[in-house]
Amino acid sequence: MPLTARGREILGSLPGVAPTVTTDGIGCEIVRREELCIGCGRCVKVCPSAAIAESSRFDPAQLYDAPAGTTRGALGAALRRIARHEPDGSFEVPERVRTFRTIEFDRTRCLGCGACTRACPTGAVTARPVNAGEIGGFAGADRVPCAVPA
Amino acid sequence: MPSAARTGGAVAEPERFATEPAADDGERTIIGFFCRECAYAAADATGNARVPLPTTVRSVLVPCTGRVGPLHVMSALAEGADGVFLAGCLEGQCHYREGNLSALDRIAFVQRLLESVGVERERVQMFTMSAADSPRFVAATKRMHATISALPRLERR
Ligand code: SF4
Ligand code: SF4
Repeated sequence: MPLTARGREILGSLPGVAPTVTTDGIGCEIVRREELCIGCGRCVKVCPSAAIAESSRFDPAQLYDAPAGTTRGALGAALRRIARHEPDGSFEVPERVRTFRTIEFDRTRCLGCGACTRACPTGAVTARPVNAGEIGGFAGADRVPCAVPA
Repeated sequence: MPSAARTGGAVAEPERFATEPAADDGERTIIGFFCRECAYAAADATGNARVPLPTTVRSVLVPCTGRVGPLHVMSALAEGADGVFLAGCLEGQCHYREGNLSALDRIAFVQRLLESVGVERERVQMFTMSAADSPRFVAATKRMHATISALPRLERR
């Protein structure tokens, strides 16, 4: 879990200690690549802290941003060719169309355990190593320090 | 189609495939994905019985409608089809258990996708039938033809 405000306060109050705290080599951040996700839900099942949730809403606009070479990218290109206007808002995805479910990741709930990165079959969730300089020790509230081997 | 004159009158001229005239701007193209187990068998029976069908429909044989994903349907529309329909087994009678149910949901998904960009949802539809039900296949094909003929051609960029 990210360091609480109280934890940061304690760290900050120790003169000379906070600046030497480092996360080099052990820090990482969970990175999601929506366009690789096939909506299988494995990450949702294994996450121990419900940081990942499945939503049945789908926003067609995200197809336009998906890279070529992926199913979503190809779908976006096809949609663009026949579209009469820009996509107007999200809609409910039918029950059996899992591929287009939206996986929502709540960074603030993430423990950094890495279970999702091991469960994901497509590499849509990975761990990115982060250096201390980048996150300012453990102070970055929206970054997740964790112990997944980079 | 060879006319009776060109074949020397030796062969009886087959009944012409009836095509109701398209609304205004030329003939439409409709792609039909038919499952091997039911719809294609029904289509075959229709052909053997020489029942006239709209010439706008081009058929694609698939093992199961469950194989057809949103990308197949969308690609057909993007590459020139004015409408796409799937014909599969009756609900509960899919030879691969639930392929047709997946297909029904995927069609619903594509319909929502089309609606979100201002394209008529009726351009994409799904029908179910048994292998023996040739009349139902004919009805589905004709209905699709009528629907798409009543719509303008699908414009592309
Ligand atoms: S790293 Fe662990 S806590 Fe964070 S999202 Fe993945 S499974 Fe959940
Ligand atoms: S495990 Fe990977 S592919 Fe499956 S839903 Fe999660 S992010 Fe998407």
